[in-house]
Amino acid sequence: MIELSELHDAAQKAFPADKLRPPRDEAWQLIAEMGWLMLPLPEAAGGLGLGRDAAAALHYELGKVLCTAPLIPAMLTVEALGAATELADKESWIERACGGEYIAMNLDRAKVSLGEGDMLDARLPAVPDADMASHTLVFGPDFCALVPLGAPGVAITERKTWDESRRLFDVTVAGHAIAPGMFVARGEASLAIASRLRGELVFAFGADSLGGAAACLDMTVEYLKTRKQFDRPIAMFQALKHRCADLRIQLDAAEALLWERAADSNASTTDLGAAKALASDVYRMVVEEAVQLHGGIGLTEEHNCHLFLKRAMLNLQLGGDLDHWREAAGRQALARLAA
Amino acid sequence: MSDTTKLDGFRAEVRSWLAANAPQGWREAYKAMSHAEFAQAQRDWFLTLVEGGYAIPHWPKEWPGGGRSLAEQKIFYEELSRADCPRLLLSFVSTYHAASTFMECGTPEQKAYYLPRILEGETWCQGFSEPGAGSDLAALKCKAERQMRDGREVYVINGQKIWSTMAQYADKCLLLVRTSSQGVKQAGITFLLMDMKARGVTVRPINQIQGDQEYCEVFLDDVEVPVTDRVGEEDHGWAVAQTTLSSERGLTLMELSYRMRGALARVAGLIRQHGREGDAGILRDFGQLVIRCDSACAIADRFLLNRINGVERLGDASIVKNTYSRVLREYSLLGLRLGGLEEQYFAPITYGDLNTGNWMADFMNSYAWTIAGGSEEVQRNIVSERMLEMQREPKGWVVA
Repeated sequence: MIELSELHDAAQKAFPADKLRPPRDEAWQLIAEMGWLMLPLPEAAGGLGLGRDAAAALHYELGKVLCTAPLIPAMLTVEALGAATELADKESWIERACGGEYIAMNLDRAKVSLGEGDMLDARLPAVPDADMASHTLVFGPDFCALVPLGAPGVAITERKTWDESRRLFDVTVAGHAIAPGMFVARGEASLAIASRLRGELVFAFGADSLGGAAACLDMTVEYLKTRKQFDRPIAMFQALKHRCADLRIQLDAAEALLWERAADSNASTTDLGAAKALASDVYRMVVEEAVQLHGGIGLTEEHNCHLFLKRAMLNLQLGGDLDHWREAAGRQALARLAA
Repeated sequence: MSDTTKLDGFRAEVRSWLAANAPQGWREAYKAMSHAEFAQAQRDWFLTLVEGGYAIPHWPKEWPGGGRSLAEQKIFYEELSRADCPRLLLSFVSTYHAASTFMECGTPEQKAYYLPRILEGETWCQGFSEPGAGSDLAALKCKAERQMRDGREVYVINGQKIWSTMAQYADKCLLLVRTSSQGVKQAGITFLLMDMKARGVTVRPINQIQGDQEYCEVFLDDVEVPVTDRVGEEDHGWAVAQTTLSSERGLTLMELSYRMRGALARVAGLIRQHGREGDAGILRDFGQLVIRCDSACAIADRFLLNRINGVERLGDASIVKNTYSRVLREYSLLGLRLGGLEEQYFAPITYGDLNTGNWMADFMNSYAWTIAGGSEEVQRNIVSERMLEMQREPKGWVVA
């Protein structure tokens, strides 16, 4: 059994803190070499059989360095392949995906219709790094299938985001016949995969958020300790100290919830989304203050502050926003606390 | 037997004992009581716990019911909040602060004399803060002079103490006095054990804004304390006080966080009562409170587990306290908002509880946790200076 701390250490060694936004293709290769893509697969399926807490440990560490490679969607599509019930050559798909063949998925709500002869029309927004993916996973109302991105009728268009640490593409599918062996699952099995992936996806962004928040707060505190005005390090001013302390308190509380839910096999999708809501909101608080506390230098492109700021604001939206998850958490608690 | 099985067994044992012995209907009963009757109910509940062997799980094992591991203590407090028992306000200083002071710094005579009496119901209060020494406790001025009176050596004490919890019912007092003004201010402090019935002690309960009388002022006018009732050396009481103050860290905040989470049902009840179940804005704010409550419980839990595993970090306790106290404020504010004008009409308070559903009282009471026991601001100093290692302000401020 691999200890969580070993995963944290391994990730910190592979992605050292002083190298933000490591080049994507190198990062991806490293991720594949480390075997991280097979982490959530059961051991019987050739994976490491590790849980959500192990995945979260990696996303947390990669969040610290603003990782540019699509580990989050890739890990989830591997998980979908592992749960496939219809897919032809399932084992070889798993082997390819774990070896570094990237299979993408959309992060925003898709429009999908499946006509006669399994003819697919779809608009799949926010597919990370579609340019390096061989396929993308498509969920319909009662099916889940792989679509080759090079097929006729399939087009990818990059939509530049403010965040320069991630790349998002719109994928459109116009009249692509899904081959029978390319269905991953249908009916109940497909719904189960979709539901599982939704929870794990949102949770992964929660872990990424807190890693980023921790790194950004560290950077900010270090800056205040070295920046001098009025003949003293500005960290000495209580007005600034207390703001940093409050951020640290918010961060620690959000982390406690994250790691608790990471290890909780009974956590509902809403419980996972709730942890992400808190995490991404704390990331927002930290970056918002980080720029302010850095002063003018925080507004320059040469300083790293804005990289965290932009990723944090994107993270707020990915996997469901604050309003969505807070409302869901309220609804769930109200039902559980029945009169 | 594995540790987990042992702990599960302990939990089951506590649960069944509480089912048979926990006070029933105390919330309603406490409302109808005078404050003195409330104190008596607290005494009774404490003695019931002593009898059951649950009053002092944190004491060493030679004491009946003592010798429980921190993991077991955690379970005990989880079960107390689960069973919604009254909190132990009156005996708290006695079993934690006083006891650990004797055990760690007391003479054999002090231990033998005072510890058994705590289990018989003798209660202690704390005489630390003064009007001019709150966050800056070491600035305390209450003066003690060593004199011979009636052939015995005593300290003669003059001064004032404030914020002594439940001092109006206390038998004894853990008292910090100034015996010297030489050197740094921490250096001239002495730790004494004072009889609250001694001549010259006057206790005046403070009327709090929500109508409770949880704290007192204590006036000391030529009060005599025998030299044998000193803990530690003269002028070296500051270190003893640190022991006293660090006697309980974590269990209370875990218990309170769990209780707050249990009390979310009160907010849910208000949402239903006002027909707001379909109001997305209210659901979001309630959801946010639920998430914050869950994170307060999670961090209180993690703190205790870290202590059990010996990996507590400097500043962790401050983070747990500030998290709980802020969420408590948010909790009461949402209740007030949902309750509307109705909550502005006076209603009797329940003593000794923080989540009573009397939302104005709960809101006002929540300040106890952002101010008492080291204010929110002092905790921020600890987090920023000791944990984040941000530079301290230069000492020695003078008026320009």
